[in-house]
Amino acid sequence: MKILTCPMNGPRNINEFQCFGPVKNDPDPATTSDADWARHLFRVDNSRGVITEWWRHVPSNYFFLAERNATTNEVIRTFTPQDAEARP
Amino acid sequence: MTRLPAPWGHRINRDKPVSFRFEGTKFTGFEGDVIASSLAANDQWMLSRSFKYHRPRGLMSMAGSEADTLVQLPSDPNVQADRHQISEGLLVTAQNVNGSLANDRDAFMDKLGRFMPVGFYYRTFMGPTRNAWLKFWEPLIRKKAGLGVLDTNATHQNYEKANLFCDLLVVGGGAAGLTAAIEAAEAGADVILAEMEPEIGGALTYRRDSSDLLHDLRNRATACPNLRIMTDTLVNGWYEDNWLPLIRGNKLFKTRAVEVILATGAIEQPATFRNNDLPGIMLGSAAQRLMRHYAVKPGNRAVVLAANPDGYRVALDLLDAGVELATVVDPRAGGSGGDLANALHTKGVKTLTGDITEAQGKKHLKSVTADGTRIPCDLLVMSVGSVPMWQLPCQAGAKLSYDQDHARFNLTLPDAPLHIAGSVNGLSSHDAVTTDAIRSAHQVLAQLDLPHRDIAGVEDTEAVLANFEPTITAHPKGKDFIDRDEDIQVKDLQNATREGYRELELIKRFTTVGMGPSQGRHSALAAARIVAKATDRSIAETGVTTARPPFAPETLGVLSGHHHPAERRTALHQEHLRLGADMRPVGAWWRPYFYGDKTDARCLIDEEVRAVRENAGVLDVSTLGGLEVRGPDAGEFLNRIYTMAYKKQPVGRCRYCLMTNEMGTVIDDGVALRLADDLYYVTATTGAVARVYADMLFWNAQWQLDVDVLNVTSAFSGFNITGPNARQVVEALNSNIDFSHEGFAYLEGCEGRVAGVPVRAMRIGFTGELSYELHCPSSHALTLWQAIMEAGKSVSLRPYGLEASRILRLEKGHILIGQDTDALTSPDELGFDWAVSKSKPFFIGKRAIEMRRNKGLPRKLAGLSFDAPRDSQDVPQESCLVLRDNVPVGHVTSSLYSPTLKKHIALAYVHGDDSDTGTQVTLKCRNGKRVNAPVEGHAFFDPDNKRQEV
Amino acid sequence: MPLRLLKYAFSRDYPVTGDIPATPDLKSSYDVVIIGGGGHGLACAHYLSKYHGITNVAVLEKGYLAGGNTARNTTTIRSNYITKEGIAFYKEGVQLYEEMSQELDFNVMFSQRGQLTLAHTEATLRSFHLRAEMGKHAGTNIEVVDAQTVKDLSPHLNMDEGGPLEIMGGLWHADGGTARHDAVAWGYAAQAARRGVEIHQRTEVEGFETDQGRITKVRTNRGDIAAGQVMIAVGGMNYDMAMRAGVELPIRCYPLQAMVTQPLKPWLHTLVSSVSLHTYLVQSSRGEIVIGGGSDPYQLCSTRSTLDMKEHLSEGATHLFPFLQGVRLLRQWAGITDMTPDYSPIMGASPLKNLWLDCGWGTWGFKATPVAGKYMAQTIANGRVAPILEPFTMERFARFELLNEMGATAASH
Ligand SMILES: Cc1cc2nc3c(=O)[nH]c(=O)nc-3n(C[C@H](O)[C@H](O)[C@H](O)COP(=O)(O)OP(=O)(O)OC[C@H]3O[C@@H](n4cnc5c(N)ncnc54)[C@H](O)[C@@H]3O)c2cc1C
Repeated sequence: MKILTCPMNGPRNINEFQCFGPVKNDPDPATTSDADWARHLFRVDNSRGVITEWWRHVPSNYFFLAERNATTNEVIRTFTPQDAEARP
Repeated sequence: MTRLPAPWGHRINRDKPVSFRFEGTKFTGFEGDVIASSLAANDQWMLSRSFKYHRPRGLMSMAGSEADTLVQLPSDPNVQADRHQISEGLLVTAQNVNGSLANDRDAFMDKLGRFMPVGFYYRTFMGPTRNAWLKFWEPLIRKKAGLGVLDTNATHQNYEKANLFCDLLVVGGGAAGLTAAIEAAEAGADVILAEMEPEIGGALTYRRDSSDLLHDLRNRATACPNLRIMTDTLVNGWYEDNWLPLIRGNKLFKTRAVEVILATGAIEQPATFRNNDLPGIMLGSAAQRLMRHYAVKPGNRAVVLAANPDGYRVALDLLDAGVELATVVDPRAGGSGGDLANALHTKGVKTLTGDITEAQGKKHLKSVTADGTRIPCDLLVMSVGSVPMWQLPCQAGAKLSYDQDHARFNLTLPDAPLHIAGSVNGLSSHDAVTTDAIRSAHQVLAQLDLPHRDIAGVEDTEAVLANFEPTITAHPKGKDFIDRDEDIQVKDLQNATREGYRELELIKRFTTVGMGPSQGRHSALAAARIVAKATDRSIAETGVTTARPPFAPETLGVLSGHHHPAERRTALHQEHLRLGADMRPVGAWWRPYFYGDKTDARCLIDEEVRAVRENAGVLDVSTLGGLEVRGPDAGEFLNRIYTMAYKKQPVGRCRYCLMTNEMGTVIDDGVALRLADDLYYVTATTGAVARVYADMLFWNAQWQLDVDVLNVTSAFSGFNITGPNARQVVEALNSNIDFSHEGFAYLEGCEGRVAGVPVRAMRIGFTGELSYELHCPSSHALTLWQAIMEAGKSVSLRPYGLEASRILRLEKGHILIGQDTDALTSPDELGFDWAVSKSKPFFIGKRAIEMRRNKGLPRKLAGLSFDAPRDSQDVPQESCLVLRDNVPVGHVTSSLYSPTLKKHIALAYVHGDDSDTGTQVTLKCRNGKRVNAPVEGHAFFDPDNKRQEV
Repeated sequence: MPLRLLKYAFSRDYPVTGDIPATPDLKSSYDVVIIGGGGHGLACAHYLSKYHGITNVAVLEKGYLAGGNTARNTTTIRSNYITKEGIAFYKEGVQLYEEMSQELDFNVMFSQRGQLTLAHTEATLRSFHLRAEMGKHAGTNIEVVDAQTVKDLSPHLNMDEGGPLEIMGGLWHADGGTARHDAVAWGYAAQAARRGVEIHQRTEVEGFETDQGRITKVRTNRGDIAAGQVMIAVGGMNYDMAMRAGVELPIRCYPLQAMVTQPLKPWLHTLVSSVSLHTYLVQSSRGEIVIGGGSDPYQLCSTRSTLDMKEHLSEGATHLFPFLQGVRLLRQWAGITDMTPDYSPIMGASPLKNLWLDCGWGTWGFKATPVAGKYMAQTIANGRVAPILEPFTMERFARFELLNEMGATAASH
């Protein structure tokens, strides 16, 4: 079983976590066209390289971000959402 | 029964005879014997019939891999006879025989080989009619398929799971594994060594001239406090981040190791010639295992096929054991056994340079043809090379490559906390193996920040001699098996390439080579050689097929362990049982369906409904989800999560909550009670609360509002007292809450004490009647329930169950999320535009709801009713279709008979253009009958909602 | 003894049929380039060559023939879906399987022994009724059966009476079955090759050149080729391949895992699957019990398998058939599935005029191999999307016209 390092709880088995999928940018509803909004709804970053995802440590309900290689499954780093400059 | 004298046979206890039956005949072996060894000691060499041709088969490796040694125990098919120990009274039978092992009625299949070339089944069995395969051929073939017989009455066994942690896991307890483990443990590492055999030592336990080294390693190992040795323990796979399953008996140890050393040894390979599958033909290591482990003399007159020094050692062993040695055949051009050969010569054994082309015999080996001469013998021992035990390293990402110069496979490791040592690393002599093991241990110690040295790689002069590349040509008469499990011959592989299956993976799939129980252990190398030659490529270009877990067969029991589905019970579970409730699972929860004798179900449910409509009932709603949303931004937070507006909601008021996802699909509903400026108590549906809670936190991880959410579902229990006389019940309670009409209006809520218990009270309900819902900490649930029952005595308050609740809610047309909605339902389709705020700038799903609205409604949920006898089949039940021009446009989501209204009532999706009240729609009953009905509103009973507001 | 086999017995040399020709040199241009030599690509090639007379076709496969999900799937073939569009499509798929061995003169061993899906909850039973009503209306062989009938159909099942997973009934789909996956691909390949279609193994498409909304060149590791029409059917690589042509598909990749036991004498006649346990079982004609199929809980493009999934599937299997505890597992594996938001494929046109999509087959596309091949071929030959494929357009998402098959896909693939 893979290990994921929670910024709050340290390294834990990955079955303690729930993945909430790649980070999406929030378009502004006021300025976004219907077509772009639909794209926002259904499209997810599915590239084979490094993706940035939301994860939840389920027992502690802690949400954080992880950079993970979607092909090798290597976790490059995990960090807190407050780490603003770290967000892509 | 004769056995070799001690010290041969150190695994058996000659003082403890053990009797068992094989194919009905009684055999006696010794404690410590495996099935195959004790049978061999009794001259019973044949163990099974082969998969396709039903040829006689016996042991070849004694290492527990090939299908030939699989036998049947009464409740256990496919048991490895060369690994399974005998026990008193054990009943063993042969597998894949039609009749008996000795006289297999399907033995004629062997003669039909010409009719069954590789892949023949793809070219026939298709006619004469279209379904001939299904009706005729397949049943015929299915009968012949498979090996063991499953006992569908097998009794339940106990399986356990545990977790282990260590600095270093060493896989394999041979010379390399032991040395590495000791070296690391002595330097301070916390080490586990796992060995699948019942004793440590690996090849040292059966190889010639190994006992001193083994003795020494054993002593050192015993003296190591931080070395845990687990024998009889199979490391059966490698998974990400060094997560390895260790299996001992019925127990699975899931092990997390910081570092892993794989010292898994090598797999000796058989040679290829006609009839190479006859009982009496075995690997050199198998003969040695028989002699040293079990004191079994592998034959009386032997030929040894030796292409490496080990072959000569086996020959010397055979002589020591009193086996007559007809000759040693060495296929290497100019090959000789060096000093070992000289030792043989002095004992009068001839060596012959040449190859074995054929073996003869019916049920056992009678002779072999070597270099054109026929040599009588009853034993042929093959030592022609080995491949590294590649499975675990390859699962861990190692690459297998072929070294043409030395005719061997090599492993290259990935950059990971993973190491190999010993013969899996291509080494053979004791010295080289030991040095390599120490090297790997110090690599590990360096990673663990423990004292270590740098040790250079080793050259092994003997390993260079260990393999040679034979020329494999198909025997004109065939039966030169590459894969014994699957009865695959040389020509099968060659013919497959001629059919165009030129890639190894395609050949594997077309011929099934490597697909059997031994998973290519004895066929991969030869197959690669044959395919490379047939397709005019190098073995490196041909490649090898992927190694997938598990390493060896493992039972489903050991994988599943002690498994029980999760079950949840409310605080009142026992109380419901005491009241005679029919408890049923709803999701993970057990809930009362109704109270009373099952045989009167309908009558009792009707009474429960009537009690609520005419008097008062109480429902355990403890499974309802409960969330506390607290903080200065709580109102803003709910505004974004739900479709209505909450910021201006007064304290002490309840408000409906409708949740949609980003696609504008309805995913949950509930009620929010504002308890304070910064505190809301929100309910969610039983099945969805876990997700709602997670989603709330997920969104707020992005919004970063000053709010905290707590899931209090299990912490709170709740009861809904409902019916025209509900107020009498709550007013009779000993409480500080004013339950009067004036003091507690519809949709109000407050905190207070009832019967000494802190409660949250709300005037909400699902029945359309005057309702009070009291929530309290679950630890007080029984006290509160008993107080309610006591207070209800005067009006005969009746507990009711889920069935009545469903009828009551449908009579009022309340929707159930998940039943009346699906993955695409928008609020508009439910007619819930009243619940969707138009003024809020944002909530999840807002934009999508608008976009969907602009497109027009494809369907809408409508009320429908049918006047028909209660048991009529001509009424559309749940899931019946709504048709428009005979095309399905929707379906019935809820349908029940209303005992109150004495008619069938339903909610159904109708076409968007048919949603006006009064429009006739057509439905198709389950029996196919079409019925028409006019569209109505959702509420069938008290549509003006007068009763709940009294 | 079938007569066909006599030719093998009485010819001196093995009579070679030559199913799959060795990979030829690439030509500079083809009328149609099919990217992906899996079942879907090969089926399309067959239909193009046999029914539309289009034989100047190259199928480009980066590895060995049909080594993607076609080689990894658990081969459930069925049409018990929920949407009318889905049912109509898969129903024809099942019919084409019934004729496939004859069509291809290659025994694909379509074994229509029926599929039994189990309901342990009322909600599941309700959804079964919907599938049954939709299916019956479309003329498929499907019915909801009660617990007693479930027991009759699969006598060894643990009914868990009174327990949390009591079997309350089932969905019986007599048309359901399995086929030999490799044979399907090889059969199509052999037929297409016989009519002149070129099959290029170890030929990887690396990118495209486009001009004015058309693909002008297909770039491969063996050189560039020009193509009249191009179809993408690369399984787990569909998202990437479409992206290389500038087409963004709403696809996410997840590994799907399955496993198989040692061969046993036949005891399990039908396909059995459980919605609540996310487990299904089928006994192959070799006697192995194939157990599927669990998707990993997060996106990944790797075919590694996990212990967790094996434990989970074993729990499900031994719950349904407790006596399987002692049965030994031989192998586990995974394939990368290309999942769409509505568990339905994306077929038909793309924003590029000569690029056609046969994508988003996720965990359920093997059963569609013949029918997708047939109508994709028709689409390419006519330059117009076949009506039966129209609902599966990639445009449906933006229109909120999703074809939600989640409920019909969760339990068995
Ligand atoms: C474990 C598992 C179980 C399943 N069970 C079922 C089931 O029971 N029933 C069912 O109906 N479906 C099932 N499926 C789904 C089914 O396998 C697939 O949907 C179906 O096989 C897809 O076929 P395809 O031809 O489109 O793709 P594939 O068979 O994956 O073929 C695509 C081919 O494209 C090639 N390719 C990729 N990239 C390139 C490139 N750049 N250039 C050239 N070629 C390339 C690949 O090598 C591959 O051979 C299962 C899938 C898995 C993984």
